[in-house]
Amino acid sequence: MAQKHARGVFGNLSNLVFLLLMAGIFMFPLVFIIARAFMPLDELLRFPPLFFPRNPTFQNFVDLANLMAGSWVPFGRYIFNTVFITVVGSFGHIMVASLAAYVLAKHKFPGATAMFTIVIFSLMFAPQVTMIPNYLILTRLRFIDTYWALIIPAFALPIGLFLMKQFMEQLHDSLLESAKIDGANELTIFMVIAMPMVKPAWLTLMIISVQQMWNMDGRSYIFTEQYKMLPIAFQQIVQGGIARTGPAAVNVLVMLIVPLTVFLINQARMVETMATSGLKE
Amino acid sequence: MFAKYKSMGLSHKKNMVGYAFISPFLLGFFLFFLRPLIQSIIFSFNDLTVTPEGLQYEFIGWEHYSYSFLVDPEFRQILIQSIVDMLTNVPIIIIFSFFAATLLNQSFKGRFLARAIFFLPVILASGIIGQIEQNDAILQMMKNPADDAANLGLMTFDIEDLLRNSRVPPQFAEYVILAIDRIYQVINDSGVQILIFLAGLQSIPSSLFEAAKVEGATAWEGFWKITFPMVSPLILVNMIYSIIDSFTKSDNELMEFIHNKAFVLANFGYASALSWIYMGVIVGMLIVIGLFYRKRVFYHE
Repeated sequence: MAQKHARGVFGNLSNLVFLLLMAGIFMFPLVFIIARAFMPLDELLRFPPLFFPRNPTFQNFVDLANLMAGSWVPFGRYIFNTVFITVVGSFGHIMVASLAAYVLAKHKFPGATAMFTIVIFSLMFAPQVTMIPNYLILTRLRFIDTYWALIIPAFALPIGLFLMKQFMEQLHDSLLESAKIDGANELTIFMVIAMPMVKPAWLTLMIISVQQMWNMDGRSYIFTEQYKMLPIAFQQIVQGGIARTGPAAVNVLVMLIVPLTVFLINQARMVETMATSGLKE
Repeated sequence: MFAKYKSMGLSHKKNMVGYAFISPFLLGFFLFFLRPLIQSIIFSFNDLTVTPEGLQYEFIGWEHYSYSFLVDPEFRQILIQSIVDMLTNVPIIIIFSFFAATLLNQSFKGRFLARAIFFLPVILASGIIGQIEQNDAILQMMKNPADDAANLGLMTFDIEDLLRNSRVPPQFAEYVILAIDRIYQVINDSGVQILIFLAGLQSIPSSLFEAAKVEGATAWEGFWKITFPMVSPLILVNMIYSIIDSFTKSDNELMEFIHNKAFVLANFGYASALSWIYMGVIVGMLIVIGLFYRKRVFYHE
């Protein structure tokens, strides 16, 4: 018994050391980005680069705020655009992918396997090559220069289906069947039983999806300034040249915050699920 | 499955539900992925020129395909290079992310923070941040691959010596050295895989572990007899994801090559042909892995 205990302590210690080491490597870029947001211009341009600001300043934030206030399209518009496509796009992606994944995994209807195979294959295709045909289709649908050009294609991204199907497959048939015997229709089973049980999966998908949508610049599809996304607005600021290095450092930080927050919230909820979902066997 | 208990009518009804649920996806998928894909096949057999009236097609048959293998001086070499890269990176990524996910799934103080940290590279690797950084002269200098190698090289050097002088088979030593050189890249590429593994670990019913504990199994046995089989389908998922990710991320050399052919040299037909060859290679590889792996996966029922 004593020996076992000793091994436990050693194991914990080595885990801790490993995690700390990894955390150091992972954290480095973030700490760097945060530190740079607070550096005055002369420190930002120093080489070799400084790791911590010597004279920390909020000047970069003030500069960025001034630049934002000066843009001829109100800056809130860019923020709204990006938030709107992120929320609608991610929600749609999760719902469409989960619905499809549910029936692919649990209703072995004719053609289901073939469909899934095609989806997997499509994941492997170089996205650059479908860009021009995609544009032609979006033009024909009159989606070009609207939010829909970014939102609707996101609904059908194959990655969500791929991920959700693997988790849906682990649902127990007996559970779904007993719900059916109790008189639930398919949509109810899907919403009330299947989705809560694969909560870790769609929380994960939400993290991936939000991260993708939030950073989408959509420059090939959106031309009207009022419909442009936050990344484009930030790029326009940054293109002001070397003197804009300060606001650029803050931009990086600002773009990070939303995906990081979604990640933190979803991870916390994932742990909750584990504790509360008692019904498994 | 339980479909056989139902009468014909019911199973027909069930199929209808299946089609209804999947139709939104299929519609989008057909419009935005399948159709463009089919169109690119047509592109790959044609020489395309952009004229004021639109795209002008000129049918040339297999010429693009034969050109890529027989004439193009770079394509074959880059193709082989990216396959070799994939074969070395993917096993490391899978092992690393599984290991990291298992650690992160245990309960310890600061687990929440640790998980957040492990996901950082995925957020940091996104396109926009790269574009903003592009304007930052200092960050550009730091990103110079030569510098990168210099930083990690210091670390690798000692281990390299150690391995060479020990009696490990040289091929194995080479692999380990390669792995260490790629640590940073691997870490950057494993964020999503860690998340998928974590989600998988969370879906293991805790009753299984409790039962095992009651029966007197140790944590070690629990890991190999419960955790590992339960997440084994996800190893396949992650393998596929990693292979696709390593082949299609935009800094892949072959992707840059194709992008260059399509949008810089405006040779769209040739770029389509290259993509189809490339896709063929990936598909072939996935089929091999899938067949090899299918027998070893455990599905909990």
